Amino acid sequence: MISLQPLANLKPASLYFHRFSSKPRTKFKPITIHSLLQYNRKPQLAGDTPRVVVITSGKGGVGKTTTTANIGLSLARLGFSVVAIDADVGLRNLDLLLGLENRVNYTVVEVLNGDCRLDQALVRDKRWSNFELLCISKPRSKLPLGFGGKALIWLVEALKAREEGAPDFIIIDCPAGIDAGFITAITPANEAVLVTTPDITSLRDADRVTGLLECDGIRDIKMIVNRVRTDMIKGEDMMSVLDVQEMLGLPLLGVIPEDTEVIRSTNRGHPLVLNKPPAIAGLAFEQAAWRLVEQDSMKAVMMEEEPKKRGFFSFFGG
Amino acid sequence: MTTTASIWTLHFHSSSFPIPILSSEVRFRRYLEFACNCKNCTSRSTLRKFIVRAVSSDDDKRLRDEVIVNNSSKDNAAKTQQNPVAMFQESISSLPLLVFKTGKYSGVSFTVGLCIVATLLIIVVKGYAARKSRHNRPGSVADLVRRGQLRSDRRGISTPLKYEDPFNNPMVKVSKSNSSVEMCGKVYRLAPVTLTEEEQSVHQKRRSRAYQWKRPTMFLKEGESVPPDVDPDTVRWIPANHPFATTSSDIDEDLAQNNVYQKHGVPFRIQAEHEALQRKLEALQNEQKLNKLVIDPAAARDFERPLKSHLKSGDQVEQSTSNPKSSPNPPKSDRAHNSCEQTNL
Repeated sequence: MISLQPLANLKPASLYFHRFSSKPRTKFKPITIHSLLQYNRKPQLAGDTPRVVVITSGKGGVGKTTTTANIGLSLARLGFSVVAIDADVGLRNLDLLLGLENRVNYTVVEVLNGDCRLDQALVRDKRWSNFELLCISKPRSKLPLGFGGKALIWLVEALKAREEGAPDFIIIDCPAGIDAGFITAITPANEAVLVTTPDITSLRDADRVTGLLECDGIRDIKMIVNRVRTDMIKGEDMMSVLDVQEMLGLPLLGVIPEDTEVIRSTNRGHPLVLNKPPAIAGLAFEQAAWRLVEQDSMKAVMMEEEPKKRGFFSFFGG
Repeated sequence: MTTTASIWTLHFHSSSFPIPILSSEVRFRRYLEFACNCKNCTSRSTLRKFIVRAVSSDDDKRLRDEVIVNNSSKDNAAKTQQNPVAMFQESISSLPLLVFKTGKYSGVSFTVGLCIVATLLIIVVKGYAARKSRHNRPGSVADLVRRGQLRSDRRGISTPLKYEDPFNNPMVKVSKSNSSVEMCGKVYRLAPVTLTEEEQSVHQKRRSRAYQWKRPTMFLKEGESVPPDVDPDTVRWIPANHPFATTSSDIDEDLAQNNVYQKHGVPFRIQAEHEALQRKLEALQNEQKLNKLVIDPAAARDFERPLKSHLKSGDQVEQSTSNPKSSPNPPKSDRAHNSCEQTNL
């Protein structure tokens, strides 16, 4: 979960041995990891703005929309202007996760038809005013696919030419599958975040989607491994994050632990990253957003839970 | 003993009570007459008198009273079982014995009783607190109710909290050896990521071999033929009954692009519909003027206020034209004209 400084003193071969060894992990020699906490400074924005990031997965239900909402609001909290586009044509949900469902009056389809202007279709979040939501269509309307991809490119161009300035990030929530909706969503993107869970069904789809993204010319692909359970990893019941990385060969943007707060935050329409006290999944999303800003990737991952060292008075609750 | 906790009970058992009790009954009635407006006060004072008498009475009298009470309870068994006040009366009848016994074991039993009461009190308070906290918990189903997604009675509404400072988070601590991290009170072991550039490129090559894909640029309905100059790999077939994708577009591509780029002014379609309505009204107005001229030349004064009279007749026209779904596409010549106007705006 913590981004680390480059490991100059470590040999890759020795790390390889550690990773692929089937011996119990407790026998490993402790590795010195020089970590850098990413909380004490504002991240440096890397790359040209607006950065158009598509959040995709292939398989449904792995947490694309949750990731979009949380990373989007994290970026807004870090001080960057963000426009989140819900490109899930028939099954949009991002507005629900953000609690903005009652404020969506116009969508991109109305903008294309000339029923409203683009600025009227953008829904500004009242909690963080530098976050805006744009839905591509209403649940029961149809999007003409003839220029669906072009429409998103026009949108990005129009957002660049706004009077108040181009947003720093345009985050596109991609629909599941590799159908026409996927093709539309990835059209304007320069980089992609692949969301996957540590199970083989999700990994197969993620690999295929990564292949399609690379065929389409998107080379900057990072992955977020969602719903990680360290207790199951410890019991060898779930693939570890490093196993997932070995299968996909993609740099890690974040690892999100399984958290019951996700469902609560969905119910509230209040993304996890705004929780107080912060939930562990919210912290992980925050750090993923941090790395996204700096175009960084994880250098170390959380493996398993260790027993916490307790003091003398811990028995009495101290 | 026969003096009861309430006057009402006295009335109830009066027939079965022996003569000595009548005096007390009379006295109670006198109380009732005296303070009929504060029944509770009367009964309370009666109860106090009863306790004093019960404790201070001699054994013979007490035994006799017990017999009487037993008799009366036998006679009115059915009534007594159903009457909580009568049950209370019986429980009070055992009070002198209780007083005697508690006096004997006062030290131990008082402590035990106190503990039991305290335990019960703690259980009740904790249960109440738990129930209250459940209602206040953020992210519960109550939030769905609040947002109108779930139809139910309104439950606890939680206020969303802001996490103000993203740059100073005390919930994340890294150990001194940098081999573990503590997040939200849990300590996790850290392991380094070892993905190298070479490994990444190997995976990319594997994928490029495995997935040969070209971006579809042509969307066709099932049954349509592929145009001759189009690569079949770039064609995507969309079923005609697809729930949210359509291959046909009822709007011109250039016009859609202009609509997206429009920054100010009235949106295109709103203006187009407004202008179409205006034209229809004008046309209708002219027609009616001519008709009136032909039919009734004498009514020339109506022409002085033509707008007012035609607005009434134009209501029907407005209803038919105001619905954008019914006439979504004005002629293309109009669109082009309007789009030019829009860009001028």
